Amino acid sequence: MAGGRFVASSPLPGFGLTFGFTTFFLSAVILLPLAAMVIRALGIPLSDLVDMLLDPRAVASYRLSFGAAALAAAINAVFGFIVAWSLVRYDFPGRRLLDTMIDLPFALPTAVSGIALATVFSPTGWLGQKLALAGIQVAYTWLGVVVALVLIGLPFVVRSVQPALIEVRKELEDAAESLGAGGFHVFRRIILPTVLPALATGFTLAFARGIGEYGSVVFISGNLPFKTEITPLLIVIKLEQYDYNGAAALGFFMLAMSFVMLFAINLVQGWGQRRLGIGVGR
Amino acid sequence: MSITLDQVTKRYQSHPVVNDVSLEIRQGEFLVLLGPSGSGKSTLLRAIAGLVEVDHGRVSLHGRDVTGVAARDRGVGFVFQHYALFRHMTVADNVEFALRVRRIRRSERMARRAELLKLVALEGMDERLPTQLSGGQQQRVAVARALAHRPEVLLLDEPFGALDAKIREELRRTIRQIQQELGVTTILVTHDQDEAFAMADRIGVMHQGRLLEVGTPDDLYARPRTRFVATFLGAANLLLGYRHGVQLRFERPGAEAVTSREIVAVIRPEEVELNTTESPEGLTPVGTGVVEELQFAGATERLRVRMSVDGPMPATPDRDDAGGNSWLLDASRTFPEQRANPLAVGQQVTVSARRIHSLPTPITSFTAIARERSAAEALRDTPFLATLAARMQTRITTRVVRTSSAPPGMPVLAAGPGARATALWNLAHGASQILVLPVGAQLPTRIVVQPGAEAGVGALGVAASLLRHIPAESVLLAVHEATTPDRERASRLRLLLDARSRALADHGLDLRTELRFGNPDDELMRELAVDPHSMLVIGLDTLAEAETARLQSLLEGPELRPVLIVRAAEAA
Repeated sequence: MAGGRFVASSPLPGFGLTFGFTTFFLSAVILLPLAAMVIRALGIPLSDLVDMLLDPRAVASYRLSFGAAALAAAINAVFGFIVAWSLVRYDFPGRRLLDTMIDLPFALPTAVSGIALATVFSPTGWLGQKLALAGIQVAYTWLGVVVALVLIGLPFVVRSVQPALIEVRKELEDAAESLGAGGFHVFRRIILPTVLPALATGFTLAFARGIGEYGSVVFISGNLPFKTEITPLLIVIKLEQYDYNGAAALGFFMLAMSFVMLFAINLVQGWGQRRLGIGVGR
Repeated sequence: MSITLDQVTKRYQSHPVVNDVSLEIRQGEFLVLLGPSGSGKSTLLRAIAGLVEVDHGRVSLHGRDVTGVAARDRGVGFVFQHYALFRHMTVADNVEFALRVRRIRRSERMARRAELLKLVALEGMDERLPTQLSGGQQQRVAVARALAHRPEVLLLDEPFGALDAKIREELRRTIRQIQQELGVTTILVTHDQDEAFAMADRIGVMHQGRLLEVGTPDDLYARPRTRFVATFLGAANLLLGYRHGVQLRFERPGAEAVTSREIVAVIRPEEVELNTTESPEGLTPVGTGVVEELQFAGATERLRVRMSVDGPMPATPDRDDAGGNSWLLDASRTFPEQRANPLAVGQQVTVSARRIHSLPTPITSFTAIARERSAAEALRDTPFLATLAARMQTRITTRVVRTSSAPPGMPVLAAGPGARATALWNLAHGASQILVLPVGAQLPTRIVVQPGAEAGVGALGVAASLLRHIPAESVLLAVHEATTPDRERASRLRLLLDARSRALADHGLDLRTELRFGNPDDELMRELAVDPHSMLVIGLDTLAEAETARLQSLLEGPELRPVLIVRAAEAA
């Protein structure tokens, strides 16, 4: 769309109607509630706001929330890629079943996942017992948070990468091979660059979801202040203590951070897509 | 030899998509593999590149056996139909890919890149991304990329398939030029015969996994060996003709069948001459007909002539079966011809041929013979015969009346009681081969050939002809009895190998050979029992009782399978 026309012709009638609907819908569902929170937060005197945001307990929670979300998204980027790869490239008995199971974390109430994880990973649980022997404790530590976020984030990566992997036609690999490239070279130079934008999307989605995740984490994390307390939980605690200003301030901060990060990733992705010419056809 | 293929076979789910292909390609030659889609030509190309593993046979490049060598170590250049450019890399990076993989120095890479882009007329495009190029330009990049590592073999898989006509023409010329300049041995796969004619030193025609024929374009066009090539390369009228000594006639012979031989005649539309008077002197008269269609096409005029009912028979199943037996013959005339002798639709014409090529096919037509009409029709509709005739594009007629001679072409009988006597009678009264089928038989998956001594060449020819159309495994069985003296063994083996190499030379067919020692009948039965869907092609040297006694159990039971008997020329 190099013409720079604002209103592009489209098969759907009525730009006015659809744009109006879009604005209204976004406003009602996303902008209004968020705006209410932002207004509330901006109503707090600046010095108080800074104090609240820099409260050591809050800072510890940011570190856990953003750190665990990033780590979990990174883990998912690797293993989600492998899962997507085996689902796309190989045909094995039960492939369909496995493919369906990937979506389960989407559908399951997050609290259920959390409780299940806590049961399995608690020092008396099936896995927790074994890990305890090796001196590793998962439940009620930051590791538990990461595990919960990995579970929740996996489908985002798999579902983003799958279509991109299907796109990497066998022909490209054949071409690289006929030119003398070995398996690793083909992966690094051909497959990975081609699916990188999709992988970034998956990473972003998993990361965003991880930052906001609450239900599955609170059951496995143990919720120790300064140690295993995530920011969303801190917000809930503040709400329970009727500290609405404190909750709004934390909410505002999370919102701002998430927006900046997501926007940055989006920019990177847009650049990658333009470079790959996705949607331009071969 | 630059590329040597030796009995290359590739199966997918036990179905052979490339079947026993042997081929030699000279250094610097441009070979075009031509065939309809699904004929196995792309799979064969990929097998040469190492992108597909072969199940049987060998691939050699410049005398080096590379059958087990991975694609990346074969050092060939491959160009794909949809270019397969790396979209995240610039033109420069694409072209240099093979050099980077080989860790070539940067300065050298850049020099080579400049050279290649000049070769494909894309100078200055180095920093473009593939998506910023047109289809034709992308394919040029793909060609440059495939040549970067100086491969000795260039393989192109339908490289123009996704391009429009004009660019196609231009790129065709570019590739041919580059190929001649570099002298790189090249195989190009296509389904477009114009492309094949325009580019090839030699054309190999593939059909149903078989490499049917290989030859120069003009040779394949003028002297095809098979029905398929005759009709696939250009238009052709295929007629059943009858050779009486040196004379060729197109009327179906009566009682003198014994002295005439049925052939399949190929008459190209441009070799047809239409006259409103008698056939001119010196041309072969074909028959008479009425002009039914007349199409002006610029330099030429295309006509279709409905041939009279009592005229010649097409060798292929009726193309236009409008209830009657009449059929349409294609003709084309140049502008001067049209001027000299204008014709109109509905006009009665005599048809003659300037040039006739007769196919060396041993199977010209089938005639199902039985006592009753219903039995003959059951035989005609037997899947084996119906499918085979459809694939071979061959006519089946039925015959119930007793005549004094065998029908022309190949008689077909039902297996069972009396089959041996009837078969021998036909072989003694003009038939040179006969097919005996259990009613309801399916196409075989394995063909066992026992060629005999004198009849060997004929039997192998017929087997080759069958195998072109049936994707079956083929085994050439030679049995030496324990009592055979050594000297005779050697001469028999020589006969067998001669026959085999003739089958290879004449029909491009390579058979697996099994040499056994023991009782011939037992060994034959053992070989047939390997696969319940076996058929037997057997050569008879004489019609003497000693040799034909064994037919009893083969033709009349208890176990029945399709048997094709070929007699040696002088056995009658």
